[in-house]
Amino acid sequence: MRVLRAWLIRLAGTLRPSSRERELDEELESHLAMHVDDCVRRGMSPEEARREARLRLGGLAQTQESMRERSRLPALASLLADLRFAMRLLRRYPGFSAVAILTLALGIGANVSIFNLVDAVLWRPLPYPHPAELVLAGEGEASALGANTSYATWVDWRARSRSFQELALLRQWQPTLSGGSGAQADAALVAGGRVSANFFRMLQAAPALGRDFEPADDAPAASRVVILGHDLWRRRFAADPAIVGRPITLGGASFTVVGVLGADFEPTVSEAVLGARAELWAPLGYASDAPWACRTCRNVNAVGRLRPGTSREGAAAELAAITSALWKEHPQDYPDARIAVIPLADQLVGSARPVLLVLLGAVGFVWLIACANLTLLLLARATHREHEVAVRMALGAGRARLLRQLLCESCVLALLGAAAGLLPAWLLPRALAVFGPRILPRLADVHIGRDGLLFAFGLALATGVLTGLAPALRLTASDLPRALHDGARTATSSAGRRLRGLMVIAEVALCLTLLVGAGLMVRSLQRLLDVPPGFEPDRVLTMQVSLAGPRYDSDGAILRYHEEVLARLRALPGVEAAALTSQVPLGGNYDGSGLHPEGRLAANPENDPSAQRYSITPDYLHVMGIPLLRGRGLAASDVQGGPPVILINEAAAHIWQGEDPIGRRVKLGGMDGPWWTVVGVVGDVHHSKLDEPSPPQFYVPHGVRHWQWGADTQMIVTLRTAGPPLELAAAAARTVRSVDPAQAVSAVAALGDLVTATVAGRRLSLAMLAAFAALALLLSAIGIHGVTSYAVARRTRELGIRLALGARPAQLLAAILRDGMVQATAGIALGLAASFLLTRILHRLLYGISPTDPATFIAVALLLAAVALAACYIPARRVLRVQPTEALRTE
Amino acid sequence: MSPGTEVWQGTLALMVMRTLETMGPLHGYGIARRIEQTSGDRLIVNYGTLYPALLKLEQEGYIASSWGKSENNRRARFYRLTRAGRRQVAKEAGAWEEATAIVARFLGPRRDPT
Repeated sequence: MRVLRAWLIRLAGTLRPSSRERELDEELESHLAMHVDDCVRRGMSPEEARREARLRLGGLAQTQESMRERSRLPALASLLADLRFAMRLLRRYPGFSAVAILTLALGIGANVSIFNLVDAVLWRPLPYPHPAELVLAGEGEASALGANTSYATWVDWRARSRSFQELALLRQWQPTLSGGSGAQADAALVAGGRVSANFFRMLQAAPALGRDFEPADDAPAASRVVILGHDLWRRRFAADPAIVGRPITLGGASFTVVGVLGADFEPTVSEAVLGARAELWAPLGYASDAPWACRTCRNVNAVGRLRPGTSREGAAAELAAITSALWKEHPQDYPDARIAVIPLADQLVGSARPVLLVLLGAVGFVWLIACANLTLLLLARATHREHEVAVRMALGAGRARLLRQLLCESCVLALLGAAAGLLPAWLLPRALAVFGPRILPRLADVHIGRDGLLFAFGLALATGVLTGLAPALRLTASDLPRALHDGARTATSSAGRRLRGLMVIAEVALCLTLLVGAGLMVRSLQRLLDVPPGFEPDRVLTMQVSLAGPRYDSDGAILRYHEEVLARLRALPGVEAAALTSQVPLGGNYDGSGLHPEGRLAANPENDPSAQRYSITPDYLHVMGIPLLRGRGLAASDVQGGPPVILINEAAAHIWQGEDPIGRRVKLGGMDGPWWTVVGVVGDVHHSKLDEPSPPQFYVPHGVRHWQWGADTQMIVTLRTAGPPLELAAAAARTVRSVDPAQAVSAVAALGDLVTATVAGRRLSLAMLAAFAALALLLSAIGIHGVTSYAVARRTRELGIRLALGARPAQLLAAILRDGMVQATAGIALGLAASFLLTRILHRLLYGISPTDPATFIAVALLLAAVALAACYIPARRVLRVQPTEALRTE
Repeated sequence: MSPGTEVWQGTLALMVMRTLETMGPLHGYGIARRIEQTSGDRLIVNYGTLYPALLKLEQEGYIASSWGKSENNRRARFYRLTRAGRRQVAKEAGAWEEATAIVARFLGPRRDPT
């Protein structure tokens, strides 16, 4: 404590000399006077006494100095002096300072921005206790959609496995919430999750109000309880603390609120598994004998917490062994015994990882280019300071002391640049938020925190030392006193010229690599957008209509409602055609079902192909512009009367290997349904992604009585419009609500926008990579420009002599351009070689193009050469204006 | 100790505080002279190191200072012990006695082991 107190007093004394320090001299004066008095009293002469007193004090100046040191912090004081000197220099050369700080602001800003993003999205652990223990478990191979399993399998896994503290289930749920006491009480769809009773225990989270689910809640008869998320509770229920125990209406049914989650509970788990941030939670409510709980009904996700000390591989091996036994017990229910156990964090980050790592690499390159540029600037300025530094060394300044001061200058520049670079880092997450959460997971977590600031500070110091070291070492080289002789300049600058040349080559090479990466991404996106989606997305409006409530408990009621909706929509001016479908391509829904072709059944029905199911009204093909290739479309008569019929797509037609599929029969889902006859073949549709081939697809008439699971209640309206589809959005939503105001209308969108949204992530990563490449190009151009103009300025005298000797200005211009372009060409060659090796890491982000696409490489090399030439030419032109007489006089 | 031994670092602070404890407020020169007198002129205080030591003690809060008049009516800076300083003297003196006692056991008259 005492030491700290002394240190603080000295710190204050360092920053502002105290009155105590000013009195030190006075105190020593009084000491000397008293000592002299004493000595004189003992009989010395005044001169002798004065001498004796000074001697005993050990020298007045030394004592004053050691007291001053004691009243300040000497190391800090000299650092402050260096900083003050650096700031004074920065102010004296405002042009240099502005360019340097701007360069670093861009270079460091880009890095801090991406670091924050990567830190929040990739590196920050999941917001649950012991996040490394959380895994997603499923059957089959892990895919982008995660890994699914069935209720029955989960029951067995849970009973037989020992690897998990808890193994819970989670299923997508999107109920219509009506009523509520908030300002906004319209019926609205809410993202939710149906979970097993142990779900929150598995996460080691608990509601802040009320209670957690109990095993008794998770039974078919008792499953009408719900736990609210904190945001929903505030938004719709005005944060009413008495909500626990009260009923709310979800999907027309009454649910009792048993708990409210705290503000600190993040629904990241549902973001990872379901792709949406769930706001309310209810028990799954499955019974083992329910048709949707069968072994082949893979409609739930298992999320588990490993026991401490159990590895993920161990858990996977155990589940695989259990599943293998289950396969033997139920050979018809499993295609194989493959198991996927994925860390929940990996599932969350998923496809964002390669993009983010590529961006991190890209900003690293931008940083290196910015460093090269700053080194060039400092080298150029160093030549102006040779004289100053030489004088100071001649006067006895130590090399270490000078080095420290020079590095202090470059660090001050870098720190100012980093401070300015925080602005783009602050802006980026705000700009990304505009694109919404589909682009990147955990976007809400991105902000400049302690880690980001530390990173910016560390990067700035590294930048300052890295860029300042070479120029500082050169400036303080021991032979520099020769710089005091004026003519010695040309002798010392050859090492400098080599260093400058290396910097230019390096930054051109780095820049070319970035440009190639961006170029490949641009071409990939072009190729992707050229992929025909299989339908005509222009002038189609889509919206989701969800039916809930006791009024719609029969197929008849559901169909009557849907017919009425379609009739009213068709009457709307501007609507050319209207249809309903259970799912819309590229709209983010997935509904698959087994397709079992008669006569070609596999021994195990689980090995038959699975296909995407569309339940449609007859006009759907017309509205979507999906071509009918063979046979006939669906008709109104197929719904209630007649035999069960379906349409299939071309990919499904391949099942018959070239034979005509029309008239063939298939079973859908399980083997216990009717045989469906194929009456038509339609074109393939890209359902989930443009860059994946279409799987088999089939279309059944909506509400057909042969469909064993009843009519779909959640349908998507598709409208072909006369004009821009969004102009009709409000009127169409109003029209649907006019049929029954209690039913929620959601996800109103133009189909074209849904298509674009599927490439939004790609477009965004492309935009960022392209922005960094453009930044690199700009910085490189500035670097080349600076080096050339410096060369011209330094060579004015030589050029003047050559002009006086009869050289033509054009020759001199060519010579200077040649110098610059030799470096640029070397850089381009190096960059092409580096790109050839590096772009391979992009292959997962590319589509329809090779990572070493020659056209891209050539185009980028030409672009960079042109920019380099321009950057050389602009300053080199000055040669043409050199007057020999003036040039000779300048020295 | 032979006459003229210099005061070594570390003990100077304790001597200064002890002197201020027994003598009351004193100026720097007075403290130095008093230490020399107390030692029977066998110690020589290096005045050049005394003042930084005083500054250190003041920064640590063990002593405080203010201007006053000396016995010869000269303006001088007077130091006095603070309450924290008094506690520190007691603590350090105790520690010092213990240390010297231990050293004395080693340097005392040799005795045969019994």
